[in-house]
Amino acid sequence: MIFPEEDIVADAPRPTPLMIAVASASEANLWTSVNGWTAARVYSSVSDEYEAAKNLAALADLGPLSRYAVRGAAAPEFLNRLTTAPAAHLTIGESARGLMLDDAGLVIDLTEVSRVSDDLFIVASSHPHGRRMRLAARGMDVEAVDISGEVAALGVFGPQASGVLAAAGLKSVSETMAASGVLRGVETAARPIQFGALEGVELIFPKEEALTIWERIMRRSAGAPIGLDALEILRLEGGAPRPGVDFVTADRALGGDGANRGLTPEELGLAHLAPLDRGWFNGRRALRELAARGARRLVSLAIDEEQSAAGAAVYLNEKPIGRITSWAWSPARKRVVAFADLDAVAAMDGEFAVSAPSPSAGRARARKLETPESLLAEAYAGEAGRDRAATDFRR
Amino acid sequence: MNEPATEPPSAEFGAQAPGRIEGGIDAIVIGAGIDGLAAATYLGKAGLHTVLVGGAGLGGRIGEREIAPGVLGVDGEHLLTTLDPEVIADLDLYRHGLSFAARRLDTTYFFDHGEALKFDGDLAQAAQLSLEDDDDREALNGFIGELLELAAYLRPAFEPAAFTRGENARRGLEKALGGAPPEKAALIQRYLYSSATDAIAARIDANEIRMSLLAEAAFRSGAAPHEPFSFMTYLRRLAGEAAGLQGAVAYPEGGAAAVVAALRRAAQAANVDMRLQTPVKSILVEGDRVGGVRLETGGQLRAPIVIAATDAQRVFLQMIGPAKIGIELQRMLMAERPEICTGRAQLVLKGVPQDDATRENMKRRLVYAPPVEAVTTAFLDARAGRVPEKMIIEAVFPGSLEGERPFDGRMLMSVMAHPLPFDAAPGDKKRKKIKKAVLRNIESFAGGLTNRIETIDIRLPEDEAAATGASPSSFAARPGIIRQWALAAATAASDRINGFYFCGPEAEIGPGISCSAARGAARAALRAYRKGAA
Repeated sequence: MIFPEEDIVADAPRPTPLMIAVASASEANLWTSVNGWTAARVYSSVSDEYEAAKNLAALADLGPLSRYAVRGAAAPEFLNRLTTAPAAHLTIGESARGLMLDDAGLVIDLTEVSRVSDDLFIVASSHPHGRRMRLAARGMDVEAVDISGEVAALGVFGPQASGVLAAAGLKSVSETMAASGVLRGVETAARPIQFGALEGVELIFPKEEALTIWERIMRRSAGAPIGLDALEILRLEGGAPRPGVDFVTADRALGGDGANRGLTPEELGLAHLAPLDRGWFNGRRALRELAARGARRLVSLAIDEEQSAAGAAVYLNEKPIGRITSWAWSPARKRVVAFADLDAVAAMDGEFAVSAPSPSAGRARARKLETPESLLAEAYAGEAGRDRAATDFRR
Repeated sequence: MNEPATEPPSAEFGAQAPGRIEGGIDAIVIGAGIDGLAAATYLGKAGLHTVLVGGAGLGGRIGEREIAPGVLGVDGEHLLTTLDPEVIADLDLYRHGLSFAARRLDTTYFFDHGEALKFDGDLAQAAQLSLEDDDDREALNGFIGELLELAAYLRPAFEPAAFTRGENARRGLEKALGGAPPEKAALIQRYLYSSATDAIAARIDANEIRMSLLAEAAFRSGAAPHEPFSFMTYLRRLAGEAAGLQGAVAYPEGGAAAVVAALRRAAQAANVDMRLQTPVKSILVEGDRVGGVRLETGGQLRAPIVIAATDAQRVFLQMIGPAKIGIELQRMLMAERPEICTGRAQLVLKGVPQDDATRENMKRRLVYAPPVEAVTTAFLDARAGRVPEKMIIEAVFPGSLEGERPFDGRMLMSVMAHPLPFDAAPGDKKRKKIKKAVLRNIESFAGGLTNRIETIDIRLPEDEAAATGASPSSFAARPGIIRQWALAAATAASDRINGFYFCGPEAEIGPGISCSAARGAARAALRAYRKGAA
């Protein structure tokens, strides 16, 4: 569940089902557009929102992300093909992260699959994929319905997340935080999600009840809203690449060997989300051929600076080896955390130099950053990562 | 005529007991058409225990049939232009009975105003034409000479799997043209983007020659001649050879059925286990590799190699199933919506004309070339589902080509008409319309001939599909060259299933009998088998 790039042209973005509720909490009144939906950049201040996510509970309107209800006897088989998440192995209430790959094994999107009942799943992705879903469903006993604008989706992150669920009326949550119930006539469900490697829960309820649920939560002061800018810091600290920002998704890539080509899971540092020992998923056969051939590598860096710039050059021994794709100041690490798209061989090194935003400032020291995501990738790549516990990211 | 290409199922083509799982097979080939026979023969010759399974008779859509009492005709193709010379040599088809009644058919082009133009079969020798004007002759000589040279460079680009999947067509073409001098490669690139009408108009002034060349370029193509990339279809024709002569049109002794008969003998000599009337229900894909096939009877045949030589929609969407194939491949196969097809007509004529001119023409290939604008309109009409007023007609008299006597004073005329609207299930009304339009166009260059018709047999994709069990769309006219390249690359890659190879019609570039996809698939299978990968 990672927000993709903001729209370059935001021509009258649609309000998300939750917008009428969250707008009342916006002090900064700073908005942007993602996938054609309105999204808040900041509600109060980036640092307060960040702190709330770290110590209390942060509430994110996940409406701009795409969400599909997949129903039918062949739903597990359909999702096993469509994404790399082990949908067929999920029990009710479990969620799993995965990737959407094209036939050539290149990453189209990041997804999260949750099992709601035996034959009902909810799939969320960064970008919309309605056409792809409908096409892939042809010839199978399954129906994929776009519910993005139909339901309100509230992401809850932080140690006090269960308090938010209780405030919303969901008291008996399972270990995975999955729950569902009807409180005063409002159907509400919660499913475990992951914002990159950061664990959280998503509350889903009918859009007509958005205001009611939101007020229940706010009245109990159970959490504070969080905007895209604070989420960006959490994402970079967690080491989750952002589609359309850190990499070009394969369905929008121009092809060829240039910077605008699609990347493999290995190159994104997400090979652990598409293990080749899992059952068939789209692109697996190509991935097997590509497995040893990664020319580029997306890595998390910690830069000894107060700021950086997307596009800043990264050097190894005075030789340019790539560029910064996104960055943010990390209050936790007291330095800039960033993603860099580097040459795969050079990326094996640990220390780099990054050109500073102003030429007169010279270069800043940078080193590889250990993130929850990179630890998972390492565990998968090593012998210890070959066992099921390390490659199965169900919650 | 030669012996019939198809044989009824016999004990040697025994069906498998229901529910039985049969092992000990090295390779299974699905589809007993010409490509399936060729692929199976390659594998059999290499010593692999090969089983050929198919639901229809040998030869697929190419088979002998009684058109009228006592008159045998051959369905499918009536001439050869692109039969892969390597297949002929590798499978010893001459030793197995293939022979040509005409290796280089001369062509007469007929026009609306009653004029005709005679082309010598050797395209490079335009001096042999019935052209009065030296300038026209020189222009045509130069143009055809240049096209033949360019087409020869293009041969690698028309090989199956010339482009890897997902590769940009322009990049693929550049790679395939690696052997061409830069100025020739640049010229080919220019022709790639050209429409047939523009490419011809830029080099030829004489209207009759323009009409003749346009008829050749647009014949059997799904791309209208005024559209970009449409001229490449003609270069593909000119790159081919059927009997050792580039760009020539050949007629085998016994018609196209003779190719099937020769392949059948070659397959028998290679100990291919042919099991006709054994329809395949599904292809077993286990993990990333093929495991064999499941038969309609419920039994299974297990083998490390499976080659599918039937249409792609059936193979990938039904036999393997959408759940096991790539989503982009599925999209590509579903996006194929054919609009245009070629109609085949076999006419039994009462009595044989006695005048010398007609008798001489009956030993040639006859092409009716409508005016340039009429051809463009015909494509637009066909796309809109209407039967065009004018159409390109290609006609031959198999009996005359083989020097045989007519059937009790009757003569068979074999016709191909293009373009016609594609319809997976045309009703009687549409069939009647098509029949009427074909006859009207024949009459426009052979006045009075339709009065001699005893029987007319029209065959459309629906009929060919019924005979072979394939999808009617696989018998539609091939799309523009760019889409053909993309589709061939996608299908020939067999969705990267280990041990599985595809050589159906979608893996070929251009219409007609070629077998080059079968050669490509069989050789790839043999390489994998020897490496132990299969």
